[in-house]
Amino acid sequence: MKETWQVIFSGVGGQGLMLAGTLLGSAATGYEGKNAVMTSAYGVESRGTFAKSDCIVSTQEIDYLEVMAADAVIALAPVAYQKYVDSLGEDTLLIYDDAIETLPSKARQLAFPIAKIAKDVGNISSSNIVALGILVKITALVKEHSVVKAIIEEFWGKEKLINLNLEAFKAGLAISGSK
Amino acid sequence: MKQIIFGMGNEAITEGALAAGARFYAGYPITPSSEIAELSSIRLPRLGGMYVQMEDEIGSIAAIIGASVAGVKSYTATSGPGFSLMQENLGVAVMGEIPCVIINVQRSGPSTGLATKPAQGDVMQAQWGTHGDHGIIALSPSSVQECYDLTVRAFNLAERYRTPVILLADEIVGHMREGYQIRELLPHDIIDRKKPTCPPRDYQPYDFSGEEDEIAPLAPYGSEYITRINGSGHDESGDACGRPDNAAKFNSHYLNKFRINQKDIIETKSFDLDDAEYAIITFGCSVRSSKAALKLARQKGIKAGLLQLVTIWPFPKEQVREVCSRVKGVVVPEMNLGQILGEVSKTNPGQIPIVGVNRVDGQMITPYEILARLEEVAK
Repeated sequence: MKETWQVIFSGVGGQGLMLAGTLLGSAATGYEGKNAVMTSAYGVESRGTFAKSDCIVSTQEIDYLEVMAADAVIALAPVAYQKYVDSLGEDTLLIYDDAIETLPSKARQLAFPIAKIAKDVGNISSSNIVALGILVKITALVKEHSVVKAIIEEFWGKEKLINLNLEAFKAGLAISGSK
Repeated sequence: MKQIIFGMGNEAITEGALAAGARFYAGYPITPSSEIAELSSIRLPRLGGMYVQMEDEIGSIAAIIGASVAGVKSYTATSGPGFSLMQENLGVAVMGEIPCVIINVQRSGPSTGLATKPAQGDVMQAQWGTHGDHGIIALSPSSVQECYDLTVRAFNLAERYRTPVILLADEIVGHMREGYQIRELLPHDIIDRKKPTCPPRDYQPYDFSGEEDEIAPLAPYGSEYITRINGSGHDESGDACGRPDNAAKFNSHYLNKFRINQKDIIETKSFDLDDAEYAIITFGCSVRSSKAALKLARQKGIKAGLLQLVTIWPFPKEQVREVCSRVKGVVVPEMNLGQILGEVSKTNPGQIPIVGVNRVDGQMITPYEILARLEEVAK
């Protein structure tokens, strides 16, 4: 079992990149006794420009807070995909929306219809949670039911949002089996 | 309640304030501190407290001074531009010896700077931003757990020593998420200000004679005691007084009260210093990069250790001097151009190399930058 996972959720502001990182960290720390740290970077605009969150999950103490060598990058927008695609090595998993034009990369590239699945589930804004489902299924960096608990906790008291996000997460888990 | 919360530093700061007994917040939201205002506005009314959104930061600090004098533990949160506006009234809190907590989640400056980017550039401002000789207390967290713990401590120190306390956080620790615990506080974990026991007619709000810690009791406004807050030089009663002996006594007191109580105020943490030949001395978010650098250096055979300055002001001179006296070189990483480096150098003039690792581009210092500096010093 891998000791430390370094994950980047990237896209544009408003896509729920911080929420995806928060749910992953909450699953790891709150329900599995692991350590996790999340940092984020974004512009002064509230929406529409490049944004990312770095989430590190580890069974060890985490010193430095930012991802130094990503094990997985999730890219939900072309600007994010293009930022990382060149620089990743063959040990990195690059999960991205299949509407983004694929470029050559050393990374292990996996395109999924993330936005389309989110739309089918009920809301395109749950793309982040679909992507989280894909990541968790492929890497097993946390247990699926830990994320389910984290989602229920995050949206406690908001039945509709809990259901939408659980559906999105499950759809992500299901689609990842196709690769 | 779940044991471990995956929470943001700014949330942990707010939880710490509430746990310490704070029930009044006045502020003007500013990135990267706004979550403290947001969460305080939700939580305080439910606890019987009060949240006031002010017209600006000048009003914010004035309001928390007023609320504190009325007997309620009070706080505000801001960042560089707002902290600059608070400096005049910060002096009022120093002069009036008013307990209060000012949280400065530092961002890149000067002026508006890079509003969303981190920095550690307000170290000197925390001590010297308001004019005149005086001491101050500033604490700097490096993790979300420390955000909680040090906020509790900030209120305790403010109450015990009748002083404003600055929690000098930064955008990185304020906005990062990490697992932390809302530690249960027992009654003895919470310190409240000394109150007078003398007959009301004998009460002098600035008379610290007979107090071993040089801290006079403080009675709340609205009680049978009369408390006067005066920004002008004043005597024991709070009445304006221009006598040279009185001015000398009180101006020295604003510094001395921290000196004589420094054992209680100053906190540092040591990592791998016992056998260290080289030391990293740092604070806040740069502690995290330094801890990683420490491990890299040890792997390369460099015997490095780390001194974390939890208390920044009063500066931990004795602890820094002790470390400097037994190592061959010191590296001081900080997201400014050498503010702590200067203080470290003062403790140890010309004996060993003391060098900085500095960034002012809004980016966190990486462990490899610190390692490279350690390797240079260890050559």
